[in-house]
Formats: sequence, C-alpha cells, structure tokens
Amino acid sequence: MAMNRRSFLKRSIFSLSTAIIVFNFPYVAWAEKKKFKTTLTKETTTICPYCGVGCGLIVSTREGKIINIEGDSNHPINEGSLCSKGSALFQVVSNERRLNSVLYRAPGASKWEKKEWTWALEKIAKNIKDTRERTFVKEKDGKIVNRTDGIAQLGGAAHDTEECYLFTKFARALGIYWLDHQARLCHSSTVASLAASFGRGAMTNHYNDLQNSDVIMVMGSNIVEMHPMASKWMMKAREKGAKIISSDPRFTRTSSIADIYTQFRSGTDIAYVGGMINYTIQHDRIQKNYVLNSTNASFIINDKYSFNDGLFAGYNPEKRNYDKTLWKYELDAEGIPKRDNTLQDPRCVFQLMKKHYERYDVETVCNITGVNKEKYLAVCDLFTSTYTEDKSATWCYAMGSTQHTVGVQYIRTYAVLQMLLGNIGIAGGGINALRGESNVQASTDMALLYHILPGYLTAPSPDDVDLKTYIEKYTPKSNDKKSANWWGNYSKYITSLLKAWWGENAQKDTEGGFCYNYLPKKSGLHDHMQIFENMYKGKIEGLIAWGQNPAVGGPNSDKERKALGKLKWLVVAELWETETAQFWKRPGVNSAEINTEVFLLPACSSVEKEGSISNSGRWAQWRYAAIHPGDADWHGDARSDLWIVDALYKGIKKEYQKNAGIFPDPILKLNWNYGTGNEIDVNKEPSAHFVASEINGYFIENGQRKGQVPFFAKLANDGTTACGNWLYCAGYVNWSDVEGKDKTATNYVNNELGEFSNRYAKRIAEKDEPKAQQLIAEGRAPGMNLNWSWCWPVNRRILYNRASVDSEGKPLNPKRWVIRWNPALAEGKGAFEGDIPDGPWAPNDKYPFIMNEEGVGRLFSAKPNEGPFPEHYEPFESPLSKNPLSGQKNNPVIVLFHQGDELNKELNSVGIPADFPIVATTMRLTEHWQAGAMTRNLSWQAELMPDLFVEISEELAIEKDIKNGDKLFVSSARGKISAYALVTKRLEPLSIMDGNTKRIIHQVAIPWHWGYAGIATGDSANILTPHVGDGNTNIPEYKTFLCNIKKA
Amino acid sequence: MENFSEPMGFLIDNTKCMGCRACQTACKQWNNLPAEKTVFFGGPGYQNPKDLSDSTFTLIKFREVIENNKIKDWGYWKKQCQHCIDPSCKAACTAKAIEKIAYGPVIWDEAKCITGCSLCKDACPFNIPRFGDNHSTKIRKCTMCYDRIEQGIEPACSKACPTDATIFGELKDLLAIAEKRISSKPEVYHQYIYGKEEVGGTSVLYISGFPLEDIGYPDK
Repeated sequence: MAMNRRSFLKRSIFSLSTAIIVFNFPYVAWAEKKKFKTTLTKETTTICPYCGVGCGLIVSTREGKIINIEGDSNHPINEGSLCSKGSALFQVVSNERRLNSVLYRAPGASKWEKKEWTWALEKIAKNIKDTRERTFVKEKDGKIVNRTDGIAQLGGAAHDTEECYLFTKFARALGIYWLDHQARLCHSSTVASLAASFGRGAMTNHYNDLQNSDVIMVMGSNIVEMHPMASKWMMKAREKGAKIISSDPRFTRTSSIADIYTQFRSGTDIAYVGGMINYTIQHDRIQKNYVLNSTNASFIINDKYSFNDGLFAGYNPEKRNYDKTLWKYELDAEGIPKRDNTLQDPRCVFQLMKKHYERYDVETVCNITGVNKEKYLAVCDLFTSTYTEDKSATWCYAMGSTQHTVGVQYIRTYAVLQMLLGNIGIAGGGINALRGESNVQASTDMALLYHILPGYLTAPSPDDVDLKTYIEKYTPKSNDKKSANWWGNYSKYITSLLKAWWGENAQKDTEGGFCYNYLPKKSGLHDHMQIFENMYKGKIEGLIAWGQNPAVGGPNSDKERKALGKLKWLVVAELWETETAQFWKRPGVNSAEINTEVFLLPACSSVEKEGSISNSGRWAQWRYAAIHPGDADWHGDARSDLWIVDALYKGIKKEYQKNAGIFPDPILKLNWNYGTGNEIDVNKEPSAHFVASEINGYFIENGQRKGQVPFFAKLANDGTTACGNWLYCAGYVNWSDVEGKDKTATNYVNNELGEFSNRYAKRIAEKDEPKAQQLIAEGRAPGMNLNWSWCWPVNRRILYNRASVDSEGKPLNPKRWVIRWNPALAEGKGAFEGDIPDGPWAPNDKYPFIMNEEGVGRLFSAKPNEGPFPEHYEPFESPLSKNPLSGQKNNPVIVLFHQGDELNKELNSVGIPADFPIVATTMRLTEHWQAGAMTRNLSWQAELMPDLFVEISEELAIEKDIKNGDKLFVSSARGKISAYALVTKRLEPLSIMDGNTKRIIHQVAIPWHWGYAGIATGDSANILTPHVGDGNTNIPEYKTFLCNIKKA
Repeated sequence: MENFSEPMGFLIDNTKCMGCRACQTACKQWNNLPAEKTVFFGGPGYQNPKDLSDSTFTLIKFREVIENNKIKDWGYWKKQCQHCIDPSCKAACTAKAIEKIAYGPVIWDEAKCITGCSLCKDACPFNIPRFGDNHSTKIRKCTMCYDRIEQGIEPACSKACPTDATIFGELKDLLAIAEKRISSKPEVYHQYIYGKEEVGGTSVLYISGFPLEDIGYPDK
C-alpha cells in the first residue's frame, strides 16, 4: 500500500491559515486554546538558516507577531519535515535574548552603553577611515598594492547572498585583504580539492539525488546529525535496496542507520581510502570506458616527475614547497597531452597511480588506521561494486575530511576513487560536500575570502601589474579543439565584475584597465589563522565581524581571544551577544585592561528580511520578510545586514567626501545604489532585488543599463556588460526574455528597475510537473526539480553530466539517466534533454569536464601543493613516532607557526605523545549549531543539550577511574577544559602498529559548540585545538590533535 | 470533509528513527510549551529531559544495543501517550474529565479536571499523565494534536519527522503498513506489532528491532 504521509487528510495540503476560524470542539485541552493557533495568519515562506540542506518553512504571522513556524509541505527537499533546530526557529524570533539596540563598549569599560544608529555609524566610519589612512599601502617593492594593512573582515556564511555580495564589494573598495569567513574553516579544502580534480569546487550532486544511490559512503561526515534532512533521501534509497556505509572514529547517529560501520584512527583517512584505490585497481573494478574517455588516466607524465619515500619531485625543504612545474603532462607537437589508450605505458597516469597505491595494501592500511580487516574488506567490496555503468555510489563528507593538515588530499582520494568507478556526473553518484551553514555556498561564491574574487576568479597579486597581465596569467589555454576550456572566458568575467563595481568610472584605460588597480593585491597568506596571528602581533587594529564568532569557532581560541584584546576597535553585527562580542568581559579577564572599543550592532534574523540563499546542492532559494521594523515582534532597532553595510558604506563615503585622504577613488567612485539615497535613513531598507539584479548582470549601452544579461555566455570583455558574479548570471533575468505570461508566478518581480524573473523564487516542484513526471517515467533520475528555485551554473543540477552519456549521447545508465541526446529537438539539430547539460555541444564534440583545460577529470592533478597523488602523512599531532608509510612524518608543505617568530611561537605549543597520549577529535551535534549562538540562546535546544561533554570509551574510563556523568578535565598543549564524561561503547581503543610495536590508542570526541555566552554555557573545545592548517588553504586541523584526560 | 469515523493514530517505526528529536521540539513549538532546565543527560545516550512532564509531551529515548561486548546499534524510541482504545485513565477519572474521541485522541475537559488529583496517572499502564510541580496544573499530556487534526493538518511530531519514523493516519492503514514492513524484512524487525493488542489496543502502534518489553513497556 502506497501511503503518502501527507495524504491522511486531503486538506493537509491547505495552508495553516485557511483553517476554520473558531476551534469548535467541545473538549478543550486547556483554556487559552479556544482559537485554532494559526487562524487568520499571514503566511510567508522561508528557508532554514541552520545547515546547508536548504529546507523550506512556513512562517505564520498575525498583527506583526510571529505565531508559528513549521515545515513547508510543498518544499521538495524536506516535504514539511524539519530537524530539532529547524523546529525551534520560532525561538530565534521570539526571544528576549535578541539584541534590540546598538551597544557600545568604550575602551577599558566594564559595561555596554546603549547608543543610536547614527552615533555609532559615524564613529565606526571615522574609525575605519582613521585606520585606513594610517595603514594604507599604495606600493610595495615598486609595485601597486593599494591595500589597507590595518583592517580585517570576517563572516557571511549565515547571511543572504545579496548581503554577502555587498560585504565583498564593500571590503574590496576599502582595500581590505585580511578577508576571510566561516568557509575558510569549514570547506576551503573542498574547493581547492574538487576544483583541482573536476574544475569546480562545489558539491557535485544535490540532496534529493541521494535517493538515486546504490551505495552511500559516509566518511568524513556525520550526515544524520549534521544534515538531518539528507537522511530522508538516504532512507528512500535504502528502501530501494541501497546500502549505507559509515566510517568514523566513533559510532554516531549516522552509524546507527548504516549497513556497515568501521571505526578507525582519526587522521588516517588517506591510508584508508588509498587502500580502497589499490583494491579497485588490484581487483580490476574500473569502469574502463569512463576512465579512458573522462579522466587523464591515459595521459603521459613528463619524466621529471617522481615519488620517493613520501616526497614528490621538486621539494624544497627550506621554503617548504614544491616546484610544481615538474609535475606536467608530456605534450605532442601540437601542444596536446600525449596519451596511451592501452594504459600500459609506465609513465601514463594510470600506471604511476597503480604503483603509488600498491603500497597501500590491506595489512598496511589496517596497521595504520586500526580498522577491522574483515569489515574493511567488506567496505572495499561493497563500494567498488558500483564500477558498472548501471550502479552508482556517492561519497558524503564534511568537516571530518576537510579539517586536517592534509584535508585537500583526503578529498582528492575520493575524487580518484570515484573517477575510477565511473561515479562522477551521474545520478546517485558524485562527491557530496555537505555544507554546514545555510549560505556558505554563496558566501564562498561571493568570495568573502582573501584569495578569490566573486565566481572563483583569482584575487590579484602585486606581480599582476595590470588587467591585461592578470588576464593573460589566469586564463588557461588548450590546443585541443575538443576541450571546451570554459575558463577561456576569464576576461569576460573579470571585466564585467569591475564594471559592476566601478560602473562608468571603469573604462578600458582607467587605473590598470577598468579600475583593476582599485582591487587590493594579496601577498602570501591572509587566512583566518594568519589574521589572528597578525592581530596578536598588533598589526591589525580593526576587525569587522559579520555574524562570525571566532572566540568559539576559531582554533586555539585562547590565543584568538587574546588577539581580539589587541584590537583598537571591533565591530560585531549579530543577533545575540556572542562570545566574540563580549570577549572583553569573559571569565578570568579584567575588562579594565582591555582597551578595545567594541560596537555591537543588532541585526535581523532570516525571517525578518528578504533575499536569497544557496544550499550546498547550489539551489538558490528566495526568503521573504515575515515581519518589518515597527511590528509587534520586531526587535527594537534591529536592522538587516544589508541595511547595515549600505549605511556603513554611506557613512564612510561621507567621511571621504568631507576630507579626501589617501586614495579615496575606490570608495568615492564605487557603483553603489540600492535604493536608499545618499543619506543614512533607518526607515529605508535597501532593495535585495536591486542587488540580485546586479549580481546577475546587465547590458550597458552608452553608459546606461539596458536589460539583464540572460546567461553568462553573453558576458563581454569590452565594458558592455556588468556582472557581480558570472556564476549567478541567469538567476535574475528580464521577465520579457524568457518566462511567459503568468504574472502571478512567485518569480515575477516588478520594481522601479523593470520587470524581472527572480528565478530563486520559483516554486514548482517536480511532483507537480507532468512533463518532468513523463521524463522520470522514461528513466530520468528523479529529484532534480528544475523549476524549484534556480541553481548555478545555468540551473544545472548535476555537475559534469556530460560524463553520464556515451559518444552518441546515450545515457550509460538508461534506467537512471541525467541527460540524453534527442535528435528531434532544436528543429532537428538535436539537443540534450533532462538536466541542463554541461554545455550545448553535441555529445562527441567536446570532452565532458569543461572547466578543466584538458577536458577530463584529473586522477593526477598538479594543482594541490602537496603533490599530484594523495599520500598519507600523520596528523600534525600524531600518537605515532613515525609515518608507517614513509620517512616524511607530516605534510611537508604546511605552515609551522610554532617555528615562526617570537609572537607566533607564543601560545602555539605542540603536544607530544609522552604528555598527551590520547587522540582527540572535535565534533558537532544535531541539537546545536556551529559556534552555538543560534542554539545555545534557545531554551528548547538548551534543554536537549545543556552541557559540554566528552565521549570516552569504557576502557579509557576504567583506566582513568571515570564514571558516566563525572566531571573531567581535557588538556592539550594549548589549554584545559572541563566537561561531563559520557562513557560509551560507541568508542573503542584501537590497535595500531607504531614501527614494529603494537600499541593501543584511545580516542575521545568533544563537541565544540559551547562558550561563555548564551543560556547553555560551557568551555570551548577549541581552547585545545592547534593553530596549524592544510598545505593549500590553511584550513585548521580541528579534527585530530593530542590530549590527555583526568577526573575532575 | 474528512471521515472522522475511522480511528486514527500513529505508527512509530524505531528502525527508521535516527534520534534527531525534531518531534520533541516540534511538539513544544506547536503547543507553546516551555523548556525544562536539564543537566548533562537525563538518561542513556543523549536523552533530555529525564522524563515526560507538564511541558514535555513526547520524549526520545536512546539505547545502545550491545552484541559480543561491542556496539551493534544505537536505537531510539519515542515515548508519548498511547491514546488507548479503552483508556484506563478515563475509567479512573471520577470527575469524568477524560474523554476518548472516537477517531483517536484521548483528551480532557480542563474545567472538569480536579487539580491535585492523580487518579488518571495511577491508572495509566504507560505512566503518561503529568501535572506541574506540586500538582500546580491539571492533567497535561499529548493530545494527538487533535486541534490540528480537526483542521485537516497532521500532528506536529509526525509532520516534522524527517524519515517517517512516526507517521499518522487511519489505524487500519497503519496496521497494514506495519505488517508489510515486518514481514518483508524479518532480519531487521522483531516480528511483533506493539499496541495492536496491548491493554486492549492503543492508537499508537510500534514496530521495532527489539521487543518493547525490553525497554519497560508492559506486555500483554
């Protein structure tokens, strides 16, 4: 019997507000409930602000009060369901702990003072100008740098895309290059790794597509706890016979729904997955045609490449880096990589890879990781069984993979394995990088990161002296006509971005070309840890934190909290008084000794403003404001971050208009008009629609806007188009161009700029579309929902989908296809149908991986800094005396702060196993979210998870005389925390070989959500974690370090 | 209009529950129930609060399943009013405040309920009814969200459940689903539908990987 859970009563599809007015039942449970709760309410739709799954909710309001918030039954991702956090969203709005006025803390003061917006904004603007004036650098070593040394900016992953775009534009105009946000700490290694393999840094598939998998591997993620709604689609797959594997240092709620669970030592995943690659090759479980057509397996590598005892060719131990020019393809006379399609040439990628991973035999893997051999072989067999064309496996991962000193190479192992099995570009396949913040996808796309510009353009360095030089350097070239080499369009994207930012001031010959030199130039690393190391040294005097809470979320948080105390001024825009906002009155410090001036600006929650967010499957969805300033439930003076950044920009501009100062042009000539006029007005909210239309881009004719650019292929490099982010071009377009006549559609927008289709607001689920249902009946994979929201690029739901068809465009798996070539379409010229294909060309005209200049996926990739093949190195703090696989213990290219200058060395001690014999890993919980402010301020969530605890095994508990519920101390070389002990069989000691010695290694797991603010308080686990990062993006190694425990 | 003559209820499938506790929060959200002050955990695993109360009508409990001294599974189950077909709380209530509505919910008339009396709790085989501290409130417990059902909207907990571990519907349909699930996967399910016959039948049916008697539910 097919029972749809929503169909028990037909009326359940009706909205909550259309219910009968008076609740008429004779038995009334309790007195106040005489009226149905949501009768006569207004409904607005919204998207959950917690994790990156992107669930829909309905907000019911009556007379300016929020009455109820629950799941949106029409939403195709969550179908009305929510997790405990989403279910508690009501308490984010209805909460007396929310900020309702601007708070100011004078240097040395012990209390906040309430202030007016106008006062605070003027003072902040003066501070920013003052610091910029004193620390702005125009030239360094004879080259233009145009940057502000003394100001840093953090945050954005929880904000709307339009806000993120203005943050990035604002920061760049001020010359800020100490620019970073949550994405550095959570998935920066993902972007570096996936882009190095496939050409794009994003999750390849999307949440609803999990239903199409035959095998779901969860390693490096606790998907059930961190992305609960993903489980809905995993369960649907399981009902169709799919198998789930959970590999994790501890048995989690994810493991509880898995068919196979393996426990292993944290920090050894490359050995684990390297062994799976070896298993695949040794058992000939390779999808041969896929590997030949869609990867570089057959490419011949230049004979300068080598690998010996843990090091690749070209290592420079002084500089701790590689000469990557030694890792190159051999080219033929036409400059095209040579191939051996028999895969027998000893210098071809396949043979080199085979040799590399032969060392990862089962015994070696088990000795390093501590995994149970029998279970490990079962995992290898099950996962690699999907190498046939009719099977798919997906790899789901998150922080368990990314947050390691070899994070990029963890993810590279998944890429190599999935390509060998033919699992990229297909339904139910891919590598699903699960994002933990609701809009960290778009905050990354919008480049709130020092090293990129919107759309993953490279942030310029001093050597990139003008636009022409810059374009020449960063535009990849290919001599192979079958390679689409999409990045060949680079010049159009950067030029259109500069036009969006400096408008008519940006002309062909101005300031390096289209005002190119207005962009601050980066020199070296300016990431999160570098920001705090330099703040600690007093080099950074001002910090703007948009909703980021580094006092809890930053690694080595004691050092980071102390670094905050060296700032002259700090601006925090927040919903709550977070640990970062009140660092100057944290336990154990004397406020009088902290001279930082602090401004705490009251911001709006996700249901109090309008704008879009992109989930980790790249679906960009529009949210609406349920209440407005002045409404009964409005929090006093709170304003959206869009309003705050708009007002702040205007305040700073005014200061520069009064007195020009140093290099004011990037500020004064900035193209900035979002409908609020020149004056700061607390009653005028900027238009998120104006911002969205600029992000999409518009044509320019004779200096005037002339309609939206319909999609990025129409962008130009001659100044005739402006576009804030080429990836989002096609998301917010002219109504007249494309969308038909129904002006009641949710995506119809009419404002003073014209009539638009806001595709982020599209709400037609696949289940309601007969045409989609017809294709699904013909075998198209379900779940794409092409008319629900919009996703970049050009609404393509499964990336690299050209790899899912053969040379005639026939799906490799006709029972679960993504795209197929239909010769009858396009007036007989033929076209793909199904998902939006990776480019319009006929199947055999172009290679499938269009973002890579060689046109195929990279088993061998010269991009990552540690080498072209992933190699196991021990974590920075390892319980072993040496690396069992080579003489190179740690990643050879990581930055070592403890060997830096004196101030770097301070508070950067390294633990050794003799003092700290236990392996610790940090983790998260369903009930709390990130640094905690969004859940530890909600009484319902605090009730579920009130106190910090540490999970320890029964064996370790006996050894340390600790019982369940006892208080214990955990210490590392950085500090000590106190927590409750949760003694459980879900963790077990592991047997590991250290050289020839067998050793028993204990592991403990500590959630990192807690801090000293909020209603559920506790020590922060990040007091224990080190300042050390990955060799490419400097993502901190939160996930493995050494500790010891003691009964309190 | 819907046909309210058919008995309705919940099917709770422990093998689908992943312990996310969306149901607990969704229940509090819809019913405007305050949070309780908790410390560490109120029971095995991540359980909180300790027990049902006048402000906690449903509660997820955790259980580590051990085999050969190793973790085999982490199980979860949902505790709430069973909405018995023939409720003993109703029979015990001398004030005649408690009523079983034909289509499922066991509810009460606030005006008739006597503060300080706990006959219903003493009679309940599942120990469900609760009163505020020192009997400061009248009976409090799950109402099956009968206010929502009356308006054609399913109860808050089953709607929130991401994996359909709790579903709501007509009991005869739920029974058929339960029978199909346990018979098609004998390796997963304990072959029994709890609530079908216990205490004369309840409006909440359970299927599970282990016997509910193992976790303290009354047997037949």
